Amino acid sequence: MEKIRLLIVDDVEDNRLVLHAICRRMDDFEVREASDGLEAVAACESWRPHIVLMDIMMPNLDGFEASKIIKARFPEINILVVTAVIDPQMERNMASIGVVAYLHKPIDKELVRFKLQSIANVLRTKVGKHIKPTSKNALNPFSNDIRNFKTIFDVEDAEGMMDFGVWILMRCEEQKNLVCSKVDPMIELFYLLMRQSVRDGEILSVIIEESFEEIFATMQFSKSVELKGKALELAEEMQDDLIIHANIVCARLNMGIEIQEKVPLKKSLPTPIVEEIKANKSIRIMDTEEKELLRQSFVQKTTAIEYIEEIGGDVLEEIRDLESLDSEWSDILSKFEEEPSIENMHYFVDRVLGVYVRAINNLFEFTALAYAISSLGSFMKEHADEIISDSIKVKTLVMLIEHLGSDLVSWREHIFGLQDAGDIHYLDSSFFSSCMQIEQIIGNKNIENDDDNDMEFF
Amino acid sequence: MAKRVIIVDDSRAVVATAELALDGLIGSGVIEFKAYLNPEELLGLLRNGSENFDLLISDVNMPEMNGLELARAIKSDDRYKTKPIIILTTESSEQLKMTGKEIGVTGWMVKPFNDEKLVKSIKMVLGV
Repeated sequence: MEKIRLLIVDDVEDNRLVLHAICRRMDDFEVREASDGLEAVAACESWRPHIVLMDIMMPNLDGFEASKIIKARFPEINILVVTAVIDPQMERNMASIGVVAYLHKPIDKELVRFKLQSIANVLRTKVGKHIKPTSKNALNPFSNDIRNFKTIFDVEDAEGMMDFGVWILMRCEEQKNLVCSKVDPMIELFYLLMRQSVRDGEILSVIIEESFEEIFATMQFSKSVELKGKALELAEEMQDDLIIHANIVCARLNMGIEIQEKVPLKKSLPTPIVEEIKANKSIRIMDTEEKELLRQSFVQKTTAIEYIEEIGGDVLEEIRDLESLDSEWSDILSKFEEEPSIENMHYFVDRVLGVYVRAINNLFEFTALAYAISSLGSFMKEHADEIISDSIKVKTLVMLIEHLGSDLVSWREHIFGLQDAGDIHYLDSSFFSSCMQIEQIIGNKNIENDDDNDMEFF
Repeated sequence: MAKRVIIVDDSRAVVATAELALDGLIGSGVIEFKAYLNPEELLGLLRNGSENFDLLISDVNMPEMNGLELARAIKSDDRYKTKPIIILTTESSEQLKMTGKEIGVTGWMVKPFNDEKLVKSIKMVLGV
């Protein structure tokens, strides 16, 4: 697969180094650097990066001017501004020329990584699913003026429905300016129609077309469509942003600049849909990112000694400070076992797991570990009611989390204390897998039953 | 007589989840279950004859010793040459599996594991 080309633009070498380090573990990225706006424009011309991380205050040509030139010449390039400038006017100016995000320094590594990964996922979806790049024939009845790719989802089961839902939500979160007022009825309507079609055993395609200002989502059925009941109400709510024609249902979403108030999407998703998505997830399905994290393989093994030499003092102190957390880990956990309340569980998640996640996040190398701990924390909070009402679940959960705690103590010892681990990543995947296994046991979720986890006999 | 199943994994959480998965087999006396967190310790005990097994389940990435090295060492000992070893790991690379196959391990299962599949495979290997 083609690598994602990322250009880091900053006049301060140290900043470039930090950003470069953040991207170091993102294997499918190819990274180059530029030290001012002029160099950035030149690199965009010669190398056509997919993503540019852009500083603002730089000599020769500043980041704003450079972004203007780049977006005018190469509108497909995604620009992320990373700057110490806190200036709402500048933020608006940057938004008006179409930068994807505006991030403030000091650099939040996880946020940068998350943004990069999200853009990369969107790019890949396009790369993976578009029809011919030259095909400009529009399927949607709204506009012929569309960009030269289409993103297609073949929906034949719950997973296909989720893929489409996740894609739309991701686009909305990235596209700060996307007018989201119509997104909710649109998702709910599409969901109802997809579910019906899946139940009827039909295969349905959802085709996304985009212009620079709009997204058109078209559902193509095998026969003509007639909306009834709830679906009809939703369609009416969408007014002229929905067209139903023969076997096609097409929705239009604007990427307008003017937004009154953006409601956080996760909260505004209609509850029945959230529940249904959850119900469909009674099997623990790993998403692609989780799979990548779990299966990431570090070809070049780094020993603990090499690693500690590389990261140096401050971080090490912070990890050593975690020692003081060991007793809290078991104390707070025992308290929860004695008095299983939502409050006590939240206290453990926030006070103990949360502190661990923050400390580990400061180490470049252990994203999987931090992710595993934080997703376990979310799982516990989400299932708090169910867990505290079942004494066996409480007991089992406490026992398993105590073991996870010992694993982390031993991990710190092997990496940062004795420094005798031949491979600093010896625990990552295993720990991640244990957290999933705990979700399986406590949440009655079966680990996905696919060929991947069949025993392979030799 | 109960079959002796040994698991070696540096992670206590993995050991605990495996034990929960095998709870039925343990409770009904079909197997007896013993866990080691350190592969070197297990190897020492096997070599001096104070430990034995009908089935060994081993992780791959452990700080002291790699599970495939452990399997190789055990398989080179005549007493354990024919005893089944199952690898239970998050590693799924074909290259590692090939190494396992050359060493003579019986099977390879990828974590996170599906409880039923683990039980079924263990019963199949032990013929119970």
